[in-house]
This record gives sequence, C-alpha cells and structure tokens, in this order.
Amino acid sequence: MSTPALRLSSVSRRFGALQAVRDVTFDVAPGERRAVIGPNGAGKTTLFNTICGDFPPSSGRIELFGLDITRARPHQRTRLGIGRTYQTSLLFNGLTVEQNLFVAVRGVQPHRWSVLRSGRDDPALAKARALAERVQLAPLLSERVLNLSHGQRRQLEIGMALAGDPKVLMLDEPAAGLSAGERPGLLAMLRTLPRSVTLILIEHDMDIALPASDIVTVMKDGEVVVEAAPDRIEDDPTVQAIYLGTGH
Amino acid sequence: MAERAARWLIVAALLALPWLLPMILPPHQAQFWTANVFGRAIVFGIIALSLTFLATYGGFISLAQMMIAGTAGYTVAIFVDGAVPAIVGGLSYAAAVPLGLAAATLMGLLVGAIAVRTRDIYLLMITLALAMGVFRFVETNIAWFNGYEGIRNVVGPRLFGYDFRNAYVFYYAALAVAGLLYGGVLYLVRTPFGLVLQGIRDNARRVAALGYSVALHRILAFGVAGFIAGAGGVLATIYNIGISPGSIGLGATVNILIMSVIGGLGHPIGAFIGALIFVVFDTFAADLYDRDRFNTLIGLVFLAIVLVSPDGMVGVGARLRRLLGVRHAAA
Ligand SMILES: Nc1ncnc2c1ncn2[C@@H]1O[C@H](COP(=O)(O)OP(=O)(O)OP(=O)(O)O)[C@@H](O)[C@H]1O
Ligand SMILES: [Mg+2]
Repeated sequence: MSTPALRLSSVSRRFGALQAVRDVTFDVAPGERRAVIGPNGAGKTTLFNTICGDFPPSSGRIELFGLDITRARPHQRTRLGIGRTYQTSLLFNGLTVEQNLFVAVRGVQPHRWSVLRSGRDDPALAKARALAERVQLAPLLSERVLNLSHGQRRQLEIGMALAGDPKVLMLDEPAAGLSAGERPGLLAMLRTLPRSVTLILIEHDMDIALPASDIVTVMKDGEVVVEAAPDRIEDDPTVQAIYLGTGH
Repeated sequence: MAERAARWLIVAALLALPWLLPMILPPHQAQFWTANVFGRAIVFGIIALSLTFLATYGGFISLAQMMIAGTAGYTVAIFVDGAVPAIVGGLSYAAAVPLGLAAATLMGLLVGAIAVRTRDIYLLMITLALAMGVFRFVETNIAWFNGYEGIRNVVGPRLFGYDFRNAYVFYYAALAVAGLLYGGVLYLVRTPFGLVLQGIRDNARRVAALGYSVALHRILAFGVAGFIAGAGGVLATIYNIGISPGSIGLGATVNILIMSVIGGLGHPIGAFIGALIFVVFDTFAADLYDRDRFNTLIGLVFLAIVLVSPDGMVGVGARLRRLLGVRHAAA
C-alpha cells in the first residue's frame, strides 16, 4: 500500500482539564475525499489545528506523506503541502481580492521578500488571478475584501488555501453561512478539485459532506466514533443516536 | 482619479504658496508664513508621517516617534562641526545627516524589536515608556547631550550655494524631503512588503499561517518609520538651530499624536493636514492667549475631531465627498 497522505496516530489535545481531542487515529489515502462530521464541540476544529500546526497535539504523531510533522511550525506545513481554510474567515479586509491572493501566493515562494513593486509580469500575480478565476471571484479582483458578501469571503478563503498548491486541502465548514442558493456552487467547485489533491472536509451540511466524500469520520467528545462510507452514514445507529439524541 | 487630482493640486498650491504670499500678504508677512507656519508644519508633518505610516498600514500606534526624531537630531548635533558645545564634532553636514538618519533607523528597529509582541494599549505604553526613558537620560547626561540645555548652533548646510537658514530655501528643501518620503510610503505599501504589513494589521494569524514572519515585518516597519522620523528630526533640529531635551519630552511626544489624530490615521496625507492645523492654532492662539489656554484650545479641537470624525480631517473630507457625490447622483 502506498504511503498515506496523512497519518494520525493517537493524536490527543487537551486544554487544561478539557480533553478536546482524544486518541484519534486514522489514515487518509492520497486523493481521498474525507468528511469529518460531528456535533458542536466534538473537537473537529481542534483536530484541524493540530494537523495544521496552530498548536501541537498534547500527544500522538502526525505524518504527512511519511514525514513526521508533529512539531513543525504552521508555515512549514504550508510549504510541505497543507492548505487550510478557517471556520471563521481570516482575510485581509483592507486589501483587495487580488492582493489577498497575491500575498498568499508569495507566502509559499522562496523569494517572499521584496520592497520593490511587482511588475505586471510577476508570475505570482498571474497565479493570484488564476486562483480568483478558480473560486469564481475573477470579476471582483480589485474589490476590497471589506465589501465582499459572506459567500464571496468563503470562496476567497478557499482561494487562499489553494495558493500554495496544497497536496492536502483542509476545509473547515466551507458552507457555514452560505445561502441555499450558494451551496450547489460550492459542491460543484469541490468536485472540480483534481484527484492529486487530498481533501479533508469538516461540514455540518450533509447535502455537501456526503456527496463530496468517499469516506466519513464521525467525531463526538473528541473521539472518532464511526468511520463509514457516505451512503451508510445516515442509517448508522451510532450516528442517529448522536444527531437525534442531542436534538441536533 | 479625483483623489489624485486633488493631491496634485495640493502639491502645486504648496509649491506656489510662498511665492504668492507676498501678493496676498504684506511682504514682511510672507517670510513669517513660509518659515513659522508652512515650514514648521512640514517638519512636524514628516515626524507625524512616521506615526501615521505605522498606524495606517500596520495598525501600530507608536509614541516613540518624536524620541526617534530626536535621536537623529542629537546625532547630527553631536557630530557636526560648529555645534555648541562641541561634543564630538568634526563632521560636515554631508556626513552627519546620513549618520543621524542611520541612528534614527537603528532606534526605530530597536523600538520595534522591544515592542514586537505588544499591541494596542500595551504598545502605546511601552513606546511611551521608551520615549520617556530616553528623554530622562538625555536630560541628565551632560557629557554626551549637554543635559537640559541641549546643543545649540546647528545652523544647517549651504545648499547649492544657498544658506539653509533662508526661510524659502529651508521651506523648499523640507517640502522636497516630505514629498519624497510621502511618495516613498505610497510606493512601499504597494510592494509585497507593504501588502504583508497591511495583512498583519488585518489578520496577523493568517500572515503567520501563510509563512511570513510577523515579527520581522513589524520590526522592519518600525525601522522604516524610524528613518522617516529621523528625516523630520534632522530638519527640526536645523529649523530650531539646535536641540534640547524639551523637544523630545512628553509634550512634544503628545503633540505628534494630536497632529496625527487631527489629520486622520486612515491615510498618510493626514499627517501633513494635521500638522498644518496644529501649527496654525499653535502660532495664532498662542499669540492671543497664554500657553495654558492654547493647550485647552487644541485639546478641544482634538476632542471635537475624535467625536465628529474618528478618522480625522481626512475622514471629514471623505465624508463630504460622499455627501456631495450622493447629492450629485440625486440631482
Ligand atoms: N484554544 C482553545 N482553548 C480552550 N478550549 C478550546 C480551544 N479550542 C477549542 N476548545 C474547546 O475544545 C472543544 C472542541 O472544540 P472544537 O472547536 O474543536 O469543536 P468543533 O467540533 O470544531 O465544533 P463546531 O462544530 O462548533 O465548530 C470545545 O469544548 C471548545 O470549547
Ligand atoms: Mg469547528
């Protein structure tokens, strides 16, 4: 079997007395689409944060294509091929869409530093525009992010995460706050991602999580409680107990 | 587009002003306006620009900028030939001024490095503490800074055969420096460095996640601001024919903040607008009333602006433009 894109071995994270993530172990194969679902507070975002390096796990081991990244800094992981979005958008409000993407693109380049203005032929600029195209923001290139709608901000989040050509793309609730009309567009966009990109997706909306994934991980109280194919999830008794039991 | 035209108009008006003043005012008044109002406003404006640059693009409010300007001023005064008392001396202005700018840049980097982990009110307090620390040190140190008396007779160089003390020569030299620095700021904020700086202002966590060093960018931004403040400090020292601790004391420090806020922290041009308003008040109110009344007056102006338009006169301008634009569209 080939090396997994991502391997989590007994990853745990505690905040004081709170065990936010408990002994999570799973492999994500290259090209796989994995949804992570679970009720509020289940530890999904915390798990993302340990994988992306916002803080290290309290214990356990994280490997990216066989490389131990448990203690690597966030930007090192970005350069090693992890791209992520945040549950609440973290954008540069005072800059334009193009500038946001440009800063993101330059971040992963070896020559990030410059006090010279980039010319029109800067490849980073071309790439920023291509990314805008990809997340359907091309008409808004010179719009300040401040003036974007919520849905457009979520699209830009994904564009920024794609800037480093990630091999593993991690999306934290990309549909959060999107209108019903915007959701099919998101799903369509996720489906256009090439299989060279491994996708891990936290999503409450089953109409996106299930069709977008090959396999679903269900978390509750920091633990993985079910791992199953998307067509088996809705009938799974444990999942039903979680969602009906908590009155979700 | 309109903004660019307005900016050119301001520059053109400033360039024409001292020559036109004799036609508007009695000739003996022209020199007074050129030196005491416009020349002084530009010098203060440059120092305020260093604060506004950090505030507008980095979101950092530094109260150390007057002290950093003083660092350049003192360096020039200490090393230049002819200053009284002669502390080190021996250098021409052509050598002492770059040395002063280098010292201010280094001081800026140092302040940036010390304050690198602080934000908001804590950044304000730590930069104020640094400024006051340097002030007290300078005031009590005789060997290097001649204590509270300071250093006199820093008359400035001859520029292309003209005496720097000539009000018009000084005015145009200061205006040229201000124009270069202002243009430099507008250029810098469009470079990758400047964009990342604005990224830090908007979302430092994302900047770090993208692989940039937030700390390094912050320190360098303070270095840039140090250079700008240094240029203002050199000009201020020549303008005042010397430098004493009072020029970097608490009052002077707060004045720079007041100018910046009056002008507006949302755009670097606010530094010059605020400095001009401040100097006009300072010049004429101080004539009419005594000092304490002036402080009350400028305090009230400050309060009014903060209450009416949190982004200063620049914000008032923008608001007016919007209002007129709306009227225009409605008509
Ligand atoms: N930085 C932190 N410090 C302390 N506690 C935290 C921190 N981050 C998360 N937690 C706690 O850890 C638990 C798991 O939170 P997490 O955000 O991972 O849940 P989630 O599954 O993403 O939930 P949601 O669906 O609401 O986003 C929660 O109880 C939360 O309060
Ligand atoms: Mg979450």
